[in-house]
Amino acid sequence: MAQIVFDKVSKTYEGGHVAVRELDLAIKDGEFMVLVGPSGCGKTTALRMIAGLEDITGGQLRINDERANDLAPRDRNIAMVFQSYALYPHLTVAENIAFGLKVRRVDKEQIARKVRETAELLELTDYLNRKPAKLSGGQRQRVAMGRALVRSPNAFLMDEPLSNLDARLRGQMRAEIAKLQKMSAVTTVYVTHDQVEAMTMGDRVAVMNKGTLQQLDTPRALYDKPVNLFVASFIGSPPINFLEAEIIAGNGGPALQVGRFTLPLGNRGAPGRKVIIGIRPEALRPVASGTPGTLSARTAFVEDLGATLLVHLDITEAKMVHASQIEDEDDLKVVRPRLRAMVDGGLAIAPGEPLSLAVDPAAIHLFDAVTGMAI
Amino acid sequence: MAHVSRRQILAERSAVLVITVLFLLPVVWLITTAYKPSNQIFSIPPRLDFVPTLDQFRSIFSYFDVGSLVRSSVIISIGTVILSLLLGVPAGYALARSRSRYASFFAYFFLAIRMVPAIASLIPFYLLMRDIGLLGTWWAVIIINTMLNCAFVTWMMFSYFRALPRDMEEAAMTDGCTQIGAFWKVAVPAARSGIIACVLFCVMFSWNDFLYPMFLTKLDSKPISVALLTAYGTKDITWGSLGALAHFSTIPIVLMALFLNRYFVQGATNGVQ
Repeated sequence: MAQIVFDKVSKTYEGGHVAVRELDLAIKDGEFMVLVGPSGCGKTTALRMIAGLEDITGGQLRINDERANDLAPRDRNIAMVFQSYALYPHLTVAENIAFGLKVRRVDKEQIARKVRETAELLELTDYLNRKPAKLSGGQRQRVAMGRALVRSPNAFLMDEPLSNLDARLRGQMRAEIAKLQKMSAVTTVYVTHDQVEAMTMGDRVAVMNKGTLQQLDTPRALYDKPVNLFVASFIGSPPINFLEAEIIAGNGGPALQVGRFTLPLGNRGAPGRKVIIGIRPEALRPVASGTPGTLSARTAFVEDLGATLLVHLDITEAKMVHASQIEDEDDLKVVRPRLRAMVDGGLAIAPGEPLSLAVDPAAIHLFDAVTGMAI
Repeated sequence: MAHVSRRQILAERSAVLVITVLFLLPVVWLITTAYKPSNQIFSIPPRLDFVPTLDQFRSIFSYFDVGSLVRSSVIISIGTVILSLLLGVPAGYALARSRSRYASFFAYFFLAIRMVPAIASLIPFYLLMRDIGLLGTWWAVIIINTMLNCAFVTWMMFSYFRALPRDMEEAAMTDGCTQIGAFWKVAVPAARSGIIACVLFCVMFSWNDFLYPMFLTKLDSKPISVALLTAYGTKDITWGSLGALAHFSTIPIVLMALFLNRYFVQGATNGVQ
């Protein structure tokens, strides 16, 4: 069991590229911490610093209150699951799982027993004598998990362990890893760029961007109270809609002027302030056309997801702001931003039709137009 | 997928057959020469309906200590292989894992060493060996062959380890290995086919090497490649003896190549499985 603390930890590569900038993060004993962010945000570097595979160029990393900056990987008793699984190709499944114990000169009988138990837990008993090349992707992933579990380490580090699996298997393994973690109660740091994994698995989630920690909170709080535009755009699927707006003094209190539309705002904000508003697609609900205090747009196309419809709308009378602060930023910028609304699958909505959408004032996120920080 | 017609397959196979026959002709000539009676070796057209004889073998066994020649070749080859791998594999690994931007340059520099013409290094090396008293021993040949082969092994293992994902060694290190432990326990076994290809190259090079042992060994340390020259007499060439002696020079290499063929192709094409 371990408590891991990043105290103003930085990593600057030769040539001046800063991968991690003064990271402050305390991971509690037994906690499932997810580090999430787009590629190049520093999450994997942070994880590798815990493992001792990456030098720390500034600040202090403490494991169980002891400075660990200069500890060799082998002296940290930490198990890591790699994105590529990094199985030893010349060893069988059983030997792969036993490797860490053998290196640590654990007694032979104990190794055999632990390997057997781990294999049973991960349903790998039938494959113990196979080489990794003869296993499916899912089985390889489980062997990589087994190699970590068998050692009873201080902490598990997982670097996008599910990214090489197909969608269905990924969903299944997601639940399984979360269950194994709860069962073993070993501190776990899990790196992913997939916000679904982050939301469903972590006790707490640290959202990172460009080497800087953006927000550290529970998945629910990240969704409900994002601190800035980046977190709001990164968390939530389909992504949030951003629109330029201004707070005005309405008849019954402050309201939002969104292009030609006026939306009620409840009792928030000072009139005259320029803001960017964030509305999640699932917060929009279709209403009869012409209802006051709604947004109107023309349906561009509809994605039928079964239980729900994801409606993409062209909004001409208000200005949308790109939500693409995530990966492929430049790629996404060439695409025209459209308003997305997640509505009941039973509704008949055809492309080309106008649609009026209402939103609960409490579901509108307000961000400062200049700083991008939540108001 | 492009459709391959029967005619195309037939044409391909015929071409392969012709090339194979062309390559094997000298070998067939060499082998048959050893079993032909002396008066039929140069019969034109060449005849294959001769009565095989072992006279040539009897003759070489009476002139040469074949056992000693083969032993010298084996010792020189094995010695070279062991030293070249002991030095070249870790050096290749170190270069492959080096963060220096000059690592590739150094690797190619090593390859360049292998390209130095043998004759250019012979004279200084001869003098060197004479001064340290190793002239006329197997060591002299083993050392110079190691120098050349080790450079080649370094370059080859550099490319091989470069293609090997670093993750595996990092996994070994978090599993409790030191960097050297990760190299021995994970990187080396994973690069097995590359190492076997290196073994083959080194053995072939030192087994077939003629120039260095010719000048650096003496009678009791002479390998078989040098002995072959003895078949060239002052007045004539005893082709039958040459054919018989060539058996001992080629068969071990051919057997080894056949046995390790699979690894050789994998290793030489740098195919990390």
